[in-house]
Amino acid sequence: MRLPPQSGEWIDRSQPLNFRFEGRAYTGFEGDTVASALWASGVSMLGHSFKYHRPRGILSAANHDVNALMQAGGTPNVRADATPLEAGMALTAVNTFGTLERDAGRFLGGFARFLPVGFYYKAFHSKRLFPLWERMFRAMTGLGRVGFATPRLRTPKRYGFCDVLVVGGGPSGLNAALAAAEQGADVVLVDEHARLGGSTHGASDLVDQVTAHPRIRVFTDTFAAGYYADHWVPLVERDRITKMRARAVVVAAGAYEQPAVFRNNDLPGIMFATAAQRLIRRYAVRPAQRVVVLAANADAYRALEAFIDAGIEVAAVIDLRDDVPADQQSVLAALRIPLHTGHCIVEALPANDGKRVAAVRVAAVGAPAPATNITCDGVFMSVGWAPAAPLLYQAGTKMRYDDGVHQFVPDTLPDGVFACGRVNGIHTPAARLLDGERAGSAAAAHCGFGTMKAISVPAEMESPTHPWPIVSHPKGKNFIDFDEDLQLADLENAIQEGFDNIELMKRYSTVGMGPSQGKHSNMNALRVLARATGSTPGEVGTTTARPFFHPVPMSHLAGRGFTPERRTPMHALHTAAGAVWMPAGVWQRPEYYAIAGQSRSKCIEGEAMAVRSGVGLIDVGTLGKLEIRGPQAAEFLERVYISKYAGLKVGMTRYAVMCDESGVVIDDGVVARLADDHFYFTTTTSGAALIYRELSRWNTLWKLDCGIVNLTGAMAAMNLAGPKARAVLAGLTDVDLSFPYLAVREGTVAGVPARLMRVGFVGEWGVEIHVPAEHGAAVWDALMAAGQAHGIRPFGVEAQRLLRLEKGHLIIGQDTDGLTTPGEAALDWAVKMDKPFFVGQRSLQAIAGKPRRQQLVGFMLPAGHAGDAPKECHLVIDNGDIAGRVTSIAWSPSLSRHIGLAYVQSGMAAVGNTLTIRLSDGSLVTAEVVKTPFYDPDNLRQKETT
Amino acid sequence: MTCPVNGPRAISEFAYGGEIRPMPDPTTCSDDAWADYVFNRNGSPGVKREWWCHTPSNTWFVAERDTARDVIVRTYLYAGDS
Amino acid sequence: MSAIAFENVSRTPRAGVKGPGAAAWIAALDLPVPRAPNSWLPLPGGLIARLGLTEFLVEGSEAAKLAAPLSPGVYPVLRQDTALVLHGARLNELLLETCSVDFRALNLSTRPVVLTSMAGVGVTVIPGEGGGMPCCRIWCDSTYGEWFVETLTGVAGELEQPGHPCNQGVTA
Repeated sequence: MRLPPQSGEWIDRSQPLNFRFEGRAYTGFEGDTVASALWASGVSMLGHSFKYHRPRGILSAANHDVNALMQAGGTPNVRADATPLEAGMALTAVNTFGTLERDAGRFLGGFARFLPVGFYYKAFHSKRLFPLWERMFRAMTGLGRVGFATPRLRTPKRYGFCDVLVVGGGPSGLNAALAAAEQGADVVLVDEHARLGGSTHGASDLVDQVTAHPRIRVFTDTFAAGYYADHWVPLVERDRITKMRARAVVVAAGAYEQPAVFRNNDLPGIMFATAAQRLIRRYAVRPAQRVVVLAANADAYRALEAFIDAGIEVAAVIDLRDDVPADQQSVLAALRIPLHTGHCIVEALPANDGKRVAAVRVAAVGAPAPATNITCDGVFMSVGWAPAAPLLYQAGTKMRYDDGVHQFVPDTLPDGVFACGRVNGIHTPAARLLDGERAGSAAAAHCGFGTMKAISVPAEMESPTHPWPIVSHPKGKNFIDFDEDLQLADLENAIQEGFDNIELMKRYSTVGMGPSQGKHSNMNALRVLARATGSTPGEVGTTTARPFFHPVPMSHLAGRGFTPERRTPMHALHTAAGAVWMPAGVWQRPEYYAIAGQSRSKCIEGEAMAVRSGVGLIDVGTLGKLEIRGPQAAEFLERVYISKYAGLKVGMTRYAVMCDESGVVIDDGVVARLADDHFYFTTTTSGAALIYRELSRWNTLWKLDCGIVNLTGAMAAMNLAGPKARAVLAGLTDVDLSFPYLAVREGTVAGVPARLMRVGFVGEWGVEIHVPAEHGAAVWDALMAAGQAHGIRPFGVEAQRLLRLEKGHLIIGQDTDGLTTPGEAALDWAVKMDKPFFVGQRSLQAIAGKPRRQQLVGFMLPAGHAGDAPKECHLVIDNGDIAGRVTSIAWSPSLSRHIGLAYVQSGMAAVGNTLTIRLSDGSLVTAEVVKTPFYDPDNLRQKETT
Repeated sequence: MTCPVNGPRAISEFAYGGEIRPMPDPTTCSDDAWADYVFNRNGSPGVKREWWCHTPSNTWFVAERDTARDVIVRTYLYAGDS
Repeated sequence: MSAIAFENVSRTPRAGVKGPGAAAWIAALDLPVPRAPNSWLPLPGGLIARLGLTEFLVEGSEAAKLAAPLSPGVYPVLRQDTALVLHGARLNELLLETCSVDFRALNLSTRPVVLTSMAGVGVTVIPGEGGGMPCCRIWCDSTYGEWFVETLTGVAGELEQPGHPCNQGVTA
């Protein structure tokens, strides 16, 4: 029920919010969580447990209450204890068959003895029945429904920077932030809650000082999702992620309160003492009427006053410890609350409807009988803590088990990482403040701000954590892991079966593998394993903690992805001409130009025929273009390419093939010599950036007297080709177009400075025209205009691939792969082994003596071939074995035959040989090995110079 | 990583170029020694001298990296040994 | 009033040069040479930026001087950039969403030049201040230019939306 206004409460009573849960209407306030609003309305059964469908309520109110997961319309995974209430919410419980009230699955508890730990490894192994079991499990398990109509959301992602990042806004974190800021550091403080203060719940001088400090930026409602190398911590806010890079990180993340383990410790009404305090202080909700406090530390006694003030009747304090310090005992005496030291709860008893605790059975520790019953509708457990250390683990901290406080604490922290407060094993309030100041000062000093203060933090006088808050019971149902419904006996059985190592026990039993990731279960499980194997918690060790600390929405991870796109300067012109675009690496290239009423293949064929019989123009601006100058420019090219360039005449070009150190072909292009010490050369589209980078590396090593400039984006390039190309170009350029085949000339085209190279890639008289990018569109337009009278057509990538195939020209990466050496690709003629050195030379020498595995050959299908033709990557079959593969194939309109290139075993490469190629459906097609070029075998058309 | 010319930058601005390994003299070494150079790499953890490139500025440099501790020891421009 | 103003200055004349002899050659042309790597100097009607150790970008009318005859160790760099000037109150937020360099930690009085990656594209950035608001000049390869401008404009547009977290009063 709702209490009168509490000082510093987080709810705004002037803003009531209506919502529905399981079809019933309720009211809460702005500032409530779903769980606090329901609890205030008297609803204490918030969900059913995973395996046994037992009623569950609030356990932690700290974002670990997985049993209170709900579905809000199309949104699954709503954590009731951490999700702010919104007007109009319509929530249902998950993991029920039917409704929460009439959950058909609640009978599963009765089958518990057939569902021991690891039961699914032992049952369901009948292959015949497994599909049935699988369907059953899919229907039974799973927590929520995915809404397939959910819109695709993405939220902004951004970077952030600071000197000191403090994770956790409780007392130690606040003091750490202040200390660091006072020394001059730029501080970011994050806390997952709506307000700072941690267990002080918000209002305090300390919080005021922090929020007012000019050098502290506060992120509330934000959690640190993980720690990544070099102090990179993603901060997950409600509506975005900030990728924070800090120079030092202070982890003040606190500790998770731990449950006591006794029979029926999962009944609604049984919760952590901190959960009760949160309900009271933040949401003005009375968690129960009459409670038993199960204590084992000073925190329990500090909280009693808050319980009394909230009108709760504390029926008794049951303290696991034999000796309770006098100052704690005196608190009870003053309040006249009965105290039972050295006692424990052996069992909680449910109310008649089974949905809430109604009483507890209390007995001496180790002596379950005689026991007394105490009626109550709530139990507040305050028996211990486990450090919230995932960030520390991820940063590489070495932890050790401290017998003084019975928890793991940092032993060796990495450079620049600091810990303070409860996560550091410091629990006394005054000491936490000092520890925070110490850590904040040290963090700031680490960044170069001031010097580390010498602060000695007093050791804890008593342990805030009980080493064994666990009570066995013959009837079980004493839960260690509430997410996974694991009882004490489940772990004992797993250990007995041989899974007696922390990693094995975790995976076999699934302890700690639920949505709260072991925050309330790992420590107790570890204690059980230690006791069962006769070792200590420190010897048993912990499993690691992986990001993320809490679930992160996919919209945050998606963010805005940057997938850059490169476009040539003529892009808009291509679109206007009907280009159908295709990605080529990061570039966009016209695949072909669409003509209304014509199919794709008709358009491509038309473009190719235009080049063969008239004139075509293609944008080849995506090619890599590099320029090298200097006295040793030629020497450099000699070393990186397999052919010779030292003797290349000024004004001439030469085909260029590049190999890597293993002799594998990695790139090809054309080298043009513009002067003795000046070359302009091209690479493949996809190779450009990598080749430029690698050539830069070679020259960093060799230090030859030359310089390389990457002009790929700075130059536009187009290829004008066809028997009428010369006529089209003649009127636009001052260059004498009778210059020889494979020569290069500098001049102007359409008034723009240009480099012209006569090339033979597509097998017609053709010129590659390179101009500065800013003039690309103008030159393209001028050529297209001049070409109108000759029926010029723009042609795209597909037409070009067909044209080059008719000439038998290979494409790196299509007709070569990661192992192809020059000889295999019929490029022996380009290899000049008599050079002093080139990259790949020594490897080619090593394999020269070895038999060649395969050979690239041209092939044709028979004239009039009917039926399907092979595709790229279809296999050449010989005697039922793989003997090669097709790398390129197309229907040649010029030859009216299917032509292609294929790798075949060396013995099958002879011209005239018959090949058998297998199609996808297993049928076989016959082909004949032929010489290339297929079209114009003597290359007369591209070479002509009249 | 700290580029010697551009300063500390996110690792996504860098490309790895392999460990700096001396090339055997191709004119005198055996095929086996050459194959070892081309194909084999040093996998054992420890401090390695490596080629790294700051890609936005195309700056090649040397990084000494402790691959056991995942720590970059220092970075500097290549001065011409190896 | 848009939160971030974009000015496309791609057509401003510019020229580049690099190499071991570049610094001396530029000095001989009577142009000031920025001494520190990755720094810039103002010129009448433009600027000269030193990119890394041995490359220079000259922008403005003075760029015409780089057409002078070359010397050994001097290699011309044809510049065909997409060049932008951005300024506005939300510029820092735009930079935080697209680039992992901490621009606010730079000391503008040293006139720094930053070669980095923004939205996945290699860029040269000169941060500055104008009229009390942050501003910066950005150069990138013009084949990335269209996509780059579209993307930055899209991000800038999102930053203007009232629902964007940077407009919620959340401290940055």
